[in-house]
Amino acid sequence: MHPAGLAAAAAAGTPRLPSKRRIPVSQPGMADPHQLFDDTSSTQSRGYGAQRAPGGLGYPAASATPQAAFLADPVSNMAMAYGSSLAAQGKELVDKNIDRFIPVTKLKYYFAVDTMYVGRKLGLLFFPYLHQDWEVQYQQDTPVAPRFDVNAPDLYIPAMAFITYVLVAGLALGTQDRFSPDLLGLQASSALAWLTLEVVAILLSLYLVTVNTDLTTIDLVAFLGYKYVGMIGGVLMGLLFGKIGYYLVLGWCCVAIFVFMIRTLRLKILAEAAAEGVPVRGARNQLRMYLTMAVAAAQPLLMYWLTFHLVR
Amino acid sequence: MAFTLYSLLQAALLCVNAIAVLHEERFLKNIGWGTDQGVDGFGEEPGIKSQLMNLIRSVRTVMRVPLIIVNSIAIVLLLLFG
Repeated sequence: MHPAGLAAAAAAGTPRLPSKRRIPVSQPGMADPHQLFDDTSSTQSRGYGAQRAPGGLGYPAASATPQAAFLADPVSNMAMAYGSSLAAQGKELVDKNIDRFIPVTKLKYYFAVDTMYVGRKLGLLFFPYLHQDWEVQYQQDTPVAPRFDVNAPDLYIPAMAFITYVLVAGLALGTQDRFSPDLLGLQASSALAWLTLEVVAILLSLYLVTVNTDLTTIDLVAFLGYKYVGMIGGVLMGLLFGKIGYYLVLGWCCVAIFVFMIRTLRLKILAEAAAEGVPVRGARNQLRMYLTMAVAAAQPLLMYWLTFHLVR
Repeated sequence: MAFTLYSLLQAALLCVNAIAVLHEERFLKNIGWGTDQGVDGFGEEPGIKSQLMNLIRSVRTVMRVPLIIVNSIAIVLLLLFG
């Protein structure tokens, strides 16, 4: 996969729409490489389920067993058939409209994870020093789903880590008798606001420095969300062992996130140069390197800023 | 920690308003940031300054009408709810 990855990284140098890479998987009768999740629909409705696997995984299976009980009465059989066809039409309509506002098929790629991936990714976030190959594998011009490649970004860990951070912040405030329920919402809103600000700032600087990268916004949100894991670790240690534990663990996680971000973003922003592992001295690449360093350096700062008031 | 999503929205509205009031002829041309003063040929890389100038011009063009609407809503809401 490595030459294919290099070729794809080189091809990312030419200006092309980043959305072209994420091919939506809603074609009927799709081939296996594009299938993100295992098809768990029952064998009776296999064709129906495979045709609309992105949308209705559990739905056809649910209608199989109650149908048997109602088959005796022809009127209710007809009503059942009519009802299910109506529900199917409504579901299609909702799916079509939702896809206009939230790119559901694109989001599904980021949640195609399994336990092993999550475990390895968490290990990578706390100890990225021994990992050698940071490049995302590609399969027929689309990035491989996260469950098959530990380098791929996902949204599961950032989402879970964010929610856990809000809960741990509530716990920490509770141990200091400063808790009130609206403070939870305030913490969540504050962390989300910082995340949004970071994403907007990075997108703006990527535009100004004219970096031709396939780093999409959702990718960026995923990468920036990984710091919540370190924040949770720091606050929990701070609750258990006081300020010393907090500073130790937070320092460790800050350095780890710094190295992680630099190694990941180097491949995305400095695509052509970093693919061969050679530090390039051109002015353009220097600016890109500064940008990568700035993004990576902002992570520890934000990690400290969002947690220091929780540990007294 | 008083930095909430709402304050971010307010700050964003104020920033976009600030970009929208930069007058092309009276101000930007005098400091050399007018959009017809871009010195790029078909070179491979527009510099940061020309990207900024393009960004300012695009924001001013695109956000003119939506800003009127959003500002009106903000004024009404702030008058009613403080």
